[in-house]
Amino acid sequence: MAAASASSFTSLKSRPAPGLATIAAVKSGAPLSFSFRRPVPAVSRLRISCAAKPETVEKVAKIVKKQLALPAETPVTGDSKFAALGADSLDTVEIVMGLEEEFHISVEEDSAQSIATVQDAADLIEELVQKK
Amino acid sequence: MLSFLRRSYLNFSFMNPQYCCLSRNFSAALPPLLPVQLPSRMETHLWYVVPDEVKSAPLLSKYMELLPQSERDHVLGFRGDQLQKSALLARTLVRTTIARYQVDGHLDPRSLRFKRNIHGKPEVEWETKDGFCPPPLQFNISHTSSLVACGVTINSLIGIDVEEKRRRTKNNILAFAKRYFTAHEVEHLNAIPDSELQQQEFIKLWTLKEAYVKALGKGFSSSPFNTFTIRASSGIAVETLDSPQNLTNNWQFALLELMGSHYVAICLERQETGGAGKTLPIKLTARKTIPFVEDELVSGTNAVVTIGGSVTQF
Repeated sequence: MAAASASSFTSLKSRPAPGLATIAAVKSGAPLSFSFRRPVPAVSRLRISCAAKPETVEKVAKIVKKQLALPAETPVTGDSKFAALGADSLDTVEIVMGLEEEFHISVEEDSAQSIATVQDAADLIEELVQKK
Repeated sequence: MLSFLRRSYLNFSFMNPQYCCLSRNFSAALPPLLPVQLPSRMETHLWYVVPDEVKSAPLLSKYMELLPQSERDHVLGFRGDQLQKSALLARTLVRTTIARYQVDGHLDPRSLRFKRNIHGKPEVEWETKDGFCPPPLQFNISHTSSLVACGVTINSLIGIDVEEKRRRTKNNILAFAKRYFTAHEVEHLNAIPDSELQQQEFIKLWTLKEAYVKALGKGFSSSPFNTFTIRASSGIAVETLDSPQNLTNNWQFALLELMGSHYVAICLERQETGGAGKTLPIKLTARKTIPFVEDELVSGTNAVVTIGGSVTQF
């Protein structure tokens, strides 16, 4: 289910921190989905960030495909959800570890929790790289 | 409307009609689920489905019809047949399993509503009808592409995790453990000379840690994996780093090998002791199921082998 990955370079993102369960914030009244791999904080979180560079998104996609043994031509975009691609909790932790090694960063447990899509990972990476 | 749904589901390749059809005709109403008595306070019920054994397209279509639209969308959001199928079976298993425990009369699995608690753990949202006292059922599900499992208790918080025995990490085990596990667990893994055994021990440890966090139900970030140690030398126990002298006695564990191919870790809130702080074994009943088709009691057979923790199988 590839979705368009349109991300402008600067965008004010207001969205829940979905965690690895593909869930919309309970408060929004959107339908709940139930893949309880990681629970989701009940509070929505406003994220103000610049969208990550396409190259970062590409690198994340590559690491994800490698971890999940997806064929290279599998369409993986910013909007692709880890869980939907077949990542379980062990895969996700391995992916985060791969990202830490690739980008020389350290991802805290609760930040890792908030990564649901490739875009989330790329944005977090750039945030952490900038802070270094 | 229903036939439209049936047609559209049959278009999903994971329900390819060329899979063999059972002789049963599923265009009629589904047969009733075999009702089951609620587990007693000391019991744990384990139900599981093997996705590879569920091949009937009409049956899968019927399962899809049990789900509300939001859950159907969620299932279809997974990429690829296998993932969609195991997601569907996970939702089907939890709904049909809970429906079986209905004390009076027949509960339609479709009618169950789920919500999440404050920390995000799924729970049943029972209808508050007059005089209706919902059973204090606790449940937890876990699935891989090759196994879907659901654990049920009365009152006792439960977490379960399943994993294929031969699951391999992409990263080096010790590097992974150093990053995410505690020093004691790294030491334990490091002491295993055989790499195959080390891999299996890692997977066992992973499932036990997952089961603990899921039982706690407070979210992964409230219990990062490097803040608690699972000790599995004689019996299995958890020790939190902030009170190392105090083996956390509130939680009991079982580790099972299922069908020779999977590890199943179960973590339960301890309900009662046998006096003088002695732990009573977990009373386990395990059933393999294809909902609406067949149920098989497998506890006590070699399909379910206890490999850790104190367990009596019934």
